[in-house]
Amino acid sequence: MWRFDRRLLLNFDWVMLLTVLLIAVMGLLNLYSASHAARAYGTPVYLKQLYFFIIGFGLIFAIISVDYRLLLNWNYFFYVTVIVLLLVALFLGKSIAGTQRWIDLGFFRLQPSELAKLVLVISLASYYDRKDTGKGFTLKELMVPAALMGVPFLLILKQPDLGTALMLSFVFISMTLFVKLRLSTLAVLGGGCAAIIPLGWLFFLKPYQRRRIETFLNPEGDPHNSGYHIIQSKIAVGSGQNFGKGYLQGTQGQLDFLPERHTDFAFSIWAEEWGFVGSLVFLVCYFFLILWGLNIVTTSRDKFGVIMAFGIVSLIFWQAFINLAMVLGLLPVVGMPLPLFSYGGSSLMTTMIGIGILMSIRMRRYKAPV
Amino acid sequence: MVIRRIHTKINRIDDAELIMLKKRVDMATLVIITFIALLIARLWFLQIHKGEEYEQQSLDNRVREQQIAAPRGNLYDRHDRLMVANRPCFNVVWMRDDAPHPEEVLRRLAKILDVDINILLDRIRTGSELAHYVPIRLQEDIDWKTLVYIENHRFSLPGVRIEVRPTRNYLYGDLSSHMIGYLGEISKRELQEREDGLYYQGGDQIGKTGIEKRYEEELRGEKGRSLVEVDVHNFEQQRLEIQEPLPGNDLQLTIDVDLQQVAENSLLDQAGAVVAMEVETGRLLVLASSPSLPLSEWLGGISTDAWQKLLTNPFKPLINKPIQGAYAPGSTYKIITAMAALSEGVVTPETVFYCSGSMNFGNRNYGCWKRRGHGAITLRRALAESCDVYFYLAGQKVGVDGLARYAESFGLGALTGIELEQERSGLVPTSEWKKRKHQEAWQEGETLSVAIGQGFNTTTPLQICRMTAATANGGLLFRPQIIQEIRDPDGKVLRAFQPIAEGRILGGKRALQLITDGLVAAVNDKNGTGEQAKLDGVTVAGKTGTAQVVHLSHHRHLPEEEIPYKFRDHAWFTCFAPAEKPEIAVTVLVEHGRHGGSTAAPIARAILERYFRGPVGEETGGGPRTHYSSGSDL
Repeated sequence: MWRFDRRLLLNFDWVMLLTVLLIAVMGLLNLYSASHAARAYGTPVYLKQLYFFIIGFGLIFAIISVDYRLLLNWNYFFYVTVIVLLLVALFLGKSIAGTQRWIDLGFFRLQPSELAKLVLVISLASYYDRKDTGKGFTLKELMVPAALMGVPFLLILKQPDLGTALMLSFVFISMTLFVKLRLSTLAVLGGGCAAIIPLGWLFFLKPYQRRRIETFLNPEGDPHNSGYHIIQSKIAVGSGQNFGKGYLQGTQGQLDFLPERHTDFAFSIWAEEWGFVGSLVFLVCYFFLILWGLNIVTTSRDKFGVIMAFGIVSLIFWQAFINLAMVLGLLPVVGMPLPLFSYGGSSLMTTMIGIGILMSIRMRRYKAPV
Repeated sequence: MVIRRIHTKINRIDDAELIMLKKRVDMATLVIITFIALLIARLWFLQIHKGEEYEQQSLDNRVREQQIAAPRGNLYDRHDRLMVANRPCFNVVWMRDDAPHPEEVLRRLAKILDVDINILLDRIRTGSELAHYVPIRLQEDIDWKTLVYIENHRFSLPGVRIEVRPTRNYLYGDLSSHMIGYLGEISKRELQEREDGLYYQGGDQIGKTGIEKRYEEELRGEKGRSLVEVDVHNFEQQRLEIQEPLPGNDLQLTIDVDLQQVAENSLLDQAGAVVAMEVETGRLLVLASSPSLPLSEWLGGISTDAWQKLLTNPFKPLINKPIQGAYAPGSTYKIITAMAALSEGVVTPETVFYCSGSMNFGNRNYGCWKRRGHGAITLRRALAESCDVYFYLAGQKVGVDGLARYAESFGLGALTGIELEQERSGLVPTSEWKKRKHQEAWQEGETLSVAIGQGFNTTTPLQICRMTAATANGGLLFRPQIIQEIRDPDGKVLRAFQPIAEGRILGGKRALQLITDGLVAAVNDKNGTGEQAKLDGVTVAGKTGTAQVVHLSHHRHLPEEEIPYKFRDHAWFTCFAPAEKPEIAVTVLVEHGRHGGSTAAPIARAILERYFRGPVGEETGGGPRTHYSSGSDL
């Protein structure tokens, strides 16, 4: 396994690495703009993010030097570990703004829900890999993967972190659809979802979550509280116009009108300072990365690799899409970072590991299975 | 190890499944591209299509317009002596956005300002409707000591700021206070109802009365504004643009500060009014009302206490008496009766009536003020000694409606058109008026009362002054003017006010001359009632008057000193001088002053003395100051 294979080097995915690097540079530039003015204590966030990127690239190189198929051995261990971490975060973790999401490690605040996304992808991939999918899954056969998703889903929902919990279900649905469902199953599930949504509205959503959705539908109805994010973000993006206000010149960001601008609303700053043209450049780079990921799906030679690659791509895509749609006022505000772009160590690490796995799959596309 | 083996078994993908999966990847690609297209379309919509709209909103977010109050125009007297100017005023204001611990800071501030904290809280409550970044004024016009203390402790008083704005500086204190008028914060109603309401914002000072109100548009100037970039906490980042305010236009009044001071000093401690008018132009040299208003108390918003005091003061300081006080004209009205009687031919200068001290009419006895009677009396002596019986008989012959025609031609019973608000027109009764008002026929006995200026008659001191001026100038009725010129801050004259002759009295020059003779006698003859207005070297023509406050008083039998203040008669004196070539008419009314001759006439004399002689011991003193008494310098 540790033998050096020359083909690995030849197949090294330079395209992916360079694209990630490009996005990392844009993200760091943007974080500098978003946070340089703030007189916060300690290391400024753009420097912290830089350190995370350096660690992240280290992780990529560590991961690609290992055959991803080894994950098939370890996935239950990872799964159980993540569940334990989620329980720890829920009962012993650090409470910030009324949510129990973090485990304070002293030097780093770990957010296990971020890791849970990736672990779910690996677990589902290994499960679907072992199941024959020739005829498509029946409802009964879906019980096990649904349970795999359901446990972390409920734990994260309890934190509460609706965004991440929804992300788990999005990834689950995407991967399950990808490995094929029976038409009848699809019909039953579709009908079930339609029934659950109103029930969920009534029973599962916290008042603040309900308010967020309500204000999304009518942000001007509450311009000072819940609607504030959406309004200020739209103003930031819109006022960027064609070419933007110029780097470090964005007034919405620099003058603090835009909250959460280094995390979830990082793209607002970018759009404000670089305008439509800059935003287009960013979107092209970003979605090139995602489409390249999809390309990796098709080049893999084994089923585990195919499904896992698809899961990772769908994970990045859904986060990116939901984040951007939220920033542009197309979706309600849910806590959802833009992978590689928003500030956040756990999210960045998870994404970099995912990228590492994708690169690992691509490098080993010609390698005969053991 | 079994488990491990199973799990490490790699499922190679077969071709059929690979094709199938690839097809799904294609579908996923399609989905992703659709979603990207959606995002790009949205970006286009926000940034290109609605970009300008959002650009404006981002400007509104970060740019605050702060208004800078303009200094109001100055007021000068007729000799360009500065009467009202501006000075900086330091206000304590409250910035809600900067105040993390309002309660503690306000408690300390209340101690520093030495006020009840509830007053501060009330102010904040009232101001809470304003936009959150608009400063709320907590205390106006603080003194230097407090200012320095607050400035030195500014860092321990977050939310408290000092605002500097120009405020009025009254160089002669409360002189001419009613005419100048006071300022006040603009009210909600004014904001809504004024056509130029958009110029103002809450908290602005606006003229509430007098000239300040009448000439608000000239005096207010043009506000400046500064555009300041602020962050979300409203902390100022940088000044983007500043437009300095333009001061308002200056007004030159027709008032002579010296004469005005003499008038107000003479009235001191008495309620009353003094009016002095240039007879050839209608310009007012004096327009005084006593007691005066404490103008500077309004600058910081008048306190409830001070306002209550003004409201309950028995001297009624809130009434601008020369134009808002309507009093029976008393014997000053005998000028009208004399003019009517002469012009209608019911008397001649030689006509003799006999005054026994009273006359009977109907079943009533009408007394003369002189109980012993004047004996046989002609017009000249009747005017000089103010014989009531003479004018009963003369007035009775003219009739009430005849008297009214003459009174109206002298400007009584109508607004004079002075540019001050709430002028009263007074009343000239007629038989038709009484029918309309009281549904009763006119009683001829009432004509007798009217003929001597009692009864239903009411007039303002300004009307009497104008009547006197018309008597002096040959019969022309001028509109009383208080403004001479409007000038821009550089001194350029924008508008010069010309005298406006509004009418001519009924009656001829000959009659006027006869009346003037009588008025001269009143002041200068041995038995004249206006003897105390006599001035050496200048012939004064004048008429005393006593306005009865109650018709058939229960108090008449009492010695004068024991009649309660509010039932005592008002004292009139109206005069002009020099009788040979009149320049100035002066009218004095002292409320409840009892006798025109002893109370009002000396005040008129003081003004005439000042006018003709100048201040004692001053270089300009001496000869008549005729250089500004004609309109030819315009």
